[in-house]
Amino acid sequence: MNTGGLILVILMLVVATLAFLWVAFQLKSAQGSDQQRKSAVDTIEQAAREDVEHIFNDEFREELRNRGRLHFEKIIGENAMFLQQDLRETTSQLNDYMRSEITRTLQDEFKKYEQSITDAKQLALESIEKTRAVVEQQREVLLQQLAHQAEGEKTRIVARFEEEMARIVNHYVLRAIGNQIDLTDQLDYILAELENNKSAIIEDIKRGT
Amino acid sequence: MEKQTFRLPLGVTSTIDVARAMRELNALNDFMTAAKVRTPGTPLQLPKLTRQLDELARLNDYNLTDENHRKELTARLNTVMGKSPVLHISFASEPSVKALERILSWLRENIHAQALLTVGLQPGIAAGCVLRTPNLLFDMSLRSYLKQQEPYVVQLIEEAANRVVKKEVAQATNPAPQPAKQAEQPKVPAA
Repeated sequence: MNTGGLILVILMLVVATLAFLWVAFQLKSAQGSDQQRKSAVDTIEQAAREDVEHIFNDEFREELRNRGRLHFEKIIGENAMFLQQDLRETTSQLNDYMRSEITRTLQDEFKKYEQSITDAKQLALESIEKTRAVVEQQREVLLQQLAHQAEGEKTRIVARFEEEMARIVNHYVLRAIGNQIDLTDQLDYILAELENNKSAIIEDIKRGT
Repeated sequence: MEKQTFRLPLGVTSTIDVARAMRELNALNDFMTAAKVRTPGTPLQLPKLTRQLDELARLNDYNLTDENHRKELTARLNTVMGKSPVLHISFASEPSVKALERILSWLRENIHAQALLTVGLQPGIAAGCVLRTPNLLFDMSLRSYLKQQEPYVVQLIEEAANRVVKKEVAQATNPAPQPAKQAEQPKVPAA
């Protein structure tokens, strides 16, 4: 350590001592002014109270109350507006939600209903198709039966007509010539017929006897 | 006396005639038996025989005054009555004797020598006859002939009906032209 350094240290020690002394002096002088200060504060407080009483009188308070009321009303109004807006938006959203839900539900139900109708329609079509096939089959059978019956009836009528017609003609011929032919004139025919049946007659007589 | 073939006259037609001849023969036998017990010399009047019995005896060379012949004839008639074939023949009207005899003659010549006939009437057969043997029926009548010709009658009717139908169809498809309009009157030039 050189001399300069030593001097500097000494100077610092001196300065520190001086500062300590100054602080002690200051503390001692401060203790003496606290009482004055207290009284001054009391005075000031008193004056402040008076000023407060003087400033914040009834009119001022009424004014403040009115302002507060107006401010409160304004806030209430703004809040009400905001609330109304929110409520409107909420209602709108709720309506949209309800609409979408109802629409979706209705669409689902409609789809189910449409599917049911489609199934019922398909069943009805199948049933109608089956019924139509059965009816067609029945119609074919009936047509065949009718054709068969008509053909049978036609054959029967024709046969009956032929039989009746032939019978009528025969009857007419018999009535017309029955009493007009002499047996003598028939002898040749009868003998010829007997000759034709001769063997059968002989055979039958032999068996009969 | 042995006969080869017993022949029946055409006058004996049916079993009724045979039975009548048998009854007559029995009556003759009774008369002959009664004549035997009579006083000799008493005049006898033979019963009058029917033509049928007379022909029967003559045709078969029987002497009816001979008892044996009568017995044999009776036996023959019994055989005929029991065993001869009886045919039933029907005509539309009562046959004449001549026609019946021809038929009977043919039957006895061609079918059986002792064939008997029972004659009936069937006016419905119109003409011809219907012969019935023990088991068969031979319809030789005009009715049967017409019955056999029924298809031909039907064919004729069908042809006639077809002609009528074709004619009607032709008329329906080609209607007859309307009567021509009145001929136009010649225009008379104005005087």
